[in-house]
Amino acid sequence: MIKYIVKRLLQLIPVIIVTSFLIYWAMNLTSGDPALLIAGDKATPEMLEQIREEMGLNDPFLVRYGRYMLGMIQGDMGESYITGKDVFQTFMETLPNTLMLGGAAVLIAVIIALPLGIYTAIHQSTWKDNVGMVFALFGTAMPNFWLGLMLILLFSLKLGWFPSGGKAGFSSVVLPAVTVGYGLAALIMRTTRSSMLDVIRQDYMTTARAKGCSERQVIFRHGLKNALIPIITAIGMQISMIMTGSVLAETVFSWPGIGRLVNDSIARRDNEMVTGAIIMCSICMCLINLVVDLVYAFFDPRIKAQYAKKG
Amino acid sequence: MKKKLALLMCLAMLATSVIGCSGGNGETTSGGETSAAGETTAAADGATGHKDTLIIGTDVDINNLDLQAQQDQINNIVLKNTHQALVWFTNEGEFEPGLATSWENVDDTHIKFTLRDDVYFNDGNKTPMTAEDVKFTLDMAMESVSAPNLAGFVSCTVDGDYEFTIETESYNNEFVQSLASQNLAIQSKKAYEDGVEDPYYIGTGPYKFDSWVQGEYCRLTKVEDYWGATTDQEVPDWAAPGVAETIDFKPYVEASSRVIALQAGEIDVCVNPPINELPFLEEDPNITVYEQAGSRLFYFAFNVTKEPWDNQTLRQAVACAIDRDSVLQAAVEGKGTLQTTILNRGLWGFYDDMEGFDYDVERAKELMAEAGYPDGGITTTLTYANSSPYESIATIIQANLAEIGITVTLSPCEDATLKSTCVNGDQELFLWRWNEDSKVDFVYRDLFYTGSGSNYHHYSDARADELTDLVATEKDPDKRLEYAQELQTYLVDACPQVPLYIANLVIAYNSNLQGQYFYGGGNHYWAHAYIAE
Amino acid sequence: MAKKANTVSTNNDVIKSRSQFQEVFHRLLKNKGAVIGMIFLLVLVIIALISPLAFDYETQVIGQNMADRLQGPSAAHWFGTDEYGRDLFARIMWGSRYSLIIGFGAVTIGLVVGTILGAIAGFKGGIWDQLIMRFIDIFYSIPNIMIAVVIVSVLGTSTVNLVIALSFSAATGFCRVVRAAVMTVRDQEYVESSYAMGLPTWKIIAKHILPNCLSPIIVQYTLQVGTTIISASSLSFLGIGVPAPAPEWGALLSGGRSRMRDASYLCVLPGLAILFTVLALNLLGDGLRDALDPKLKK
Repeated sequence: MIKYIVKRLLQLIPVIIVTSFLIYWAMNLTSGDPALLIAGDKATPEMLEQIREEMGLNDPFLVRYGRYMLGMIQGDMGESYITGKDVFQTFMETLPNTLMLGGAAVLIAVIIALPLGIYTAIHQSTWKDNVGMVFALFGTAMPNFWLGLMLILLFSLKLGWFPSGGKAGFSSVVLPAVTVGYGLAALIMRTTRSSMLDVIRQDYMTTARAKGCSERQVIFRHGLKNALIPIITAIGMQISMIMTGSVLAETVFSWPGIGRLVNDSIARRDNEMVTGAIIMCSICMCLINLVVDLVYAFFDPRIKAQYAKKG
Repeated sequence: MKKKLALLMCLAMLATSVIGCSGGNGETTSGGETSAAGETTAAADGATGHKDTLIIGTDVDINNLDLQAQQDQINNIVLKNTHQALVWFTNEGEFEPGLATSWENVDDTHIKFTLRDDVYFNDGNKTPMTAEDVKFTLDMAMESVSAPNLAGFVSCTVDGDYEFTIETESYNNEFVQSLASQNLAIQSKKAYEDGVEDPYYIGTGPYKFDSWVQGEYCRLTKVEDYWGATTDQEVPDWAAPGVAETIDFKPYVEASSRVIALQAGEIDVCVNPPINELPFLEEDPNITVYEQAGSRLFYFAFNVTKEPWDNQTLRQAVACAIDRDSVLQAAVEGKGTLQTTILNRGLWGFYDDMEGFDYDVERAKELMAEAGYPDGGITTTLTYANSSPYESIATIIQANLAEIGITVTLSPCEDATLKSTCVNGDQELFLWRWNEDSKVDFVYRDLFYTGSGSNYHHYSDARADELTDLVATEKDPDKRLEYAQELQTYLVDACPQVPLYIANLVIAYNSNLQGQYFYGGGNHYWAHAYIAE
Repeated sequence: MAKKANTVSTNNDVIKSRSQFQEVFHRLLKNKGAVIGMIFLLVLVIIALISPLAFDYETQVIGQNMADRLQGPSAAHWFGTDEYGRDLFARIMWGSRYSLIIGFGAVTIGLVVGTILGAIAGFKGGIWDQLIMRFIDIFYSIPNIMIAVVIVSVLGTSTVNLVIALSFSAATGFCRVVRAAVMTVRDQEYVESSYAMGLPTWKIIAKHILPNCLSPIIVQYTLQVGTTIISASSLSFLGIGVPAPAPEWGALLSGGRSRMRDASYLCVLPGLAILFTVLALNLLGDGLRDALDPKLKK
């Protein structure tokens, strides 16, 4: 098991190298000189030259990349061109906001989707099932930033229940989380429904019923537990979608998260920040995927046994 | 399983809204454990009759609070409360003594200053602010990105604890005015020498830096033993102690969110509210919408080195083709003033009586013919920043120019790309703005002088350069004014840019706001503002 | 659909495949969701084709009329007018051209690139497989939208660049699907026999392997077009999509965002256009999946 984890962690190294190279290179190709943004409107040509010199922007690309990687090996991800703050520190300050948003989104999605998935599975092919499926279809077809705007229109403007943006306490997370969570809920619901349908027909369910368990017990104790693995997989597969959703929701709701950090930094040609933040993002996503894999093992001893063998 | 689904499609459209609602209800209980963030509700302080906290909703993110390492207005607005400059610039366009009480020109290149002797830094030790700190600050500025604010500076000599002399390259009418810029506010030499962490946070202002979480908020707290509160000498209005205990600056980049936040009471001030939402704010009894003439000039411009825009008559034809009323309407719903001259309104020597180029398609067509393009047939590109209001301006201008046979491709890009493109002279037409409310030289010289870094027009003309120099150095006010008017007339006629309009300053705030001090250019001073109760 | 299935079928089993195609089509017609999706898409394609006849681009779609700005929906302007007095109905109808071209364009590029990479990885295996899949994994570990934003920043804002940026994420999806499919077919006897006959590798892949991976590719294609239309509108929303004044739906939405309070239809209607288009694509995709693989249908 530990061997497996170590192996997965080692696989991060090529990811970091290739990602950092690609992003650093791409940012290098973008038109737009960071020195111009730092120096402001009144910049003189000499001053720009001086700034470029100080930041090492005049060096060839490979030299700069080499220097960047050298720093990274020593655990230094560099400083933002614009704010002068440490990239890693800034990322870590922002990360909790995104995790909070993502976590709330997953939570909301699960709370809505799990019961709905089970319910529709039990009432398969009735109008209840169909209403549920329509809910799911809309979730996957809706641009989530648009959903965000509609939620603002309804819940902030018309009803005034929730703030329309910014991060100020509990209520401010609700709308962005629903925005990110709806698409996810749709996917989880469909997965729950189909894996419940699989499970419902299994012999052990009939056995449980025969033993005199109540229908509720049958569904939850025997059915749900076995249906969980595909559901967790579905959530795990969608980490990327959650991140993408967050980028947009953060823009719509002025939420101070990673997505906005990266987006703003790209606009400001803050190469160190963009590269650092995207690398950290992909590391986080790999780690989350690892955790998801480990959670499978927890729910399914067969997979656990496989890890042990492989490791 | 999906057979009946199709039949339900119509129902579905109704159903989503219902489900959407129930979803919303669900979350109220579900998100509980995920949200532990501190809520910034202002605790009322009945005794003093004002709220402890003043929360200002800004339209952009604060990005750097190292005074001399940045040039952004938003940072300067924050820093204005924590650091003070030698010269104080009032919102009526006057320059008054700041930390320096008086100054005189010894000769053409030397100015002697006297400092207040009762000012100390907010470093906990009440370290006095002396001429050494001034010299340190100015010398440091010359090595930083703030150097252009101090153009012409040669050296600073300390003559005593509270006296110093500045040497300049040549006589300049506006040198002292430069010292009012926030980047040149006085910093503590001792803090830098003692190796204090982030020494640039230490200033002399009525507030001091507390905390800053990028993208979230920046908090300032009132200085208890502020020099302006403890001194026995007379304190000018601008240096009076603060009232609110803390001032928070919170970015709400999305304009609509900022307005809603103000209406919901999450913030007390909404900077730059979107014009189309003003009616909603105006009907709200708890909110005041304030409007005054601004100083931010938006213009349409040419790269005069690019064919065919090196043709002055052609440029004038384009100027006549632009329907600036529609531009003003589309960009800011008419909340602004159309402008003929290239100088920001309110600056010294502002002159708007030249003929200029009003919207006149017939005249435009005549000029086109005169310029050698009777049938139009020009294809070109308009580059602009992909943000409000440029998008609207570009859309109108594109339609206008089509009328005189100029096909314009729009090329929106990010600020960084726009600036690089313009500096390198790769653009053909572009949109930009200039915001200057204190020094005229920062307009003439920066925008039109041969070789200036921000002369995106790449305009170069001996007469314009000469007049710019004369306006800067002529001591006789009457003659200087004459030069200034001639220069403006000359530049409007040369037409490297078509001035469009000056946007009004619009700001919305809680009706209980007191002590605010607004500038048409947007560099508001918040140190004495508070919410009365 | 019909054309595709026919052209890829090999000569010697035309008859068999036609009946197979008919069977699939028959199953598809029984799925009402898929039928609705197909009809909607058909109507949309027709709208996209005839909108140049119905509306004049210069005057009706981008032509401004400041006197008529911000009129709510009425008989004269079914969907109201925007802040420049342009008819929103004309713009949304015309905008279908952009969304469809971007959606299908990006996914087609992604299909070609992804299929080639996936086929190589799946067929060659070994080091090729490792290299390609590691690379794809890396793209998977960065949120798609960030990749797209970086690419557009590099290339600049234009419709073509938007298509290129979006084709990246489509390609990674196809690569995975094709690789998995190729690996299952690779060791079948008929492939081995053509190998023995000395056919060049690319011919084997093109003639024998890909036609047999068609079902997952078709399904993936349909669903991916929907995803891509959403992504394109997201990028427009972030301000780096199709430049003005083109009436791409995301751009309309982004423009209407600041008018949410006083003219909410500017924001609601383009959103509905996107929603229903993607919904139709998803319904069709689901229907195709069931029709192509009856075993999956429970």
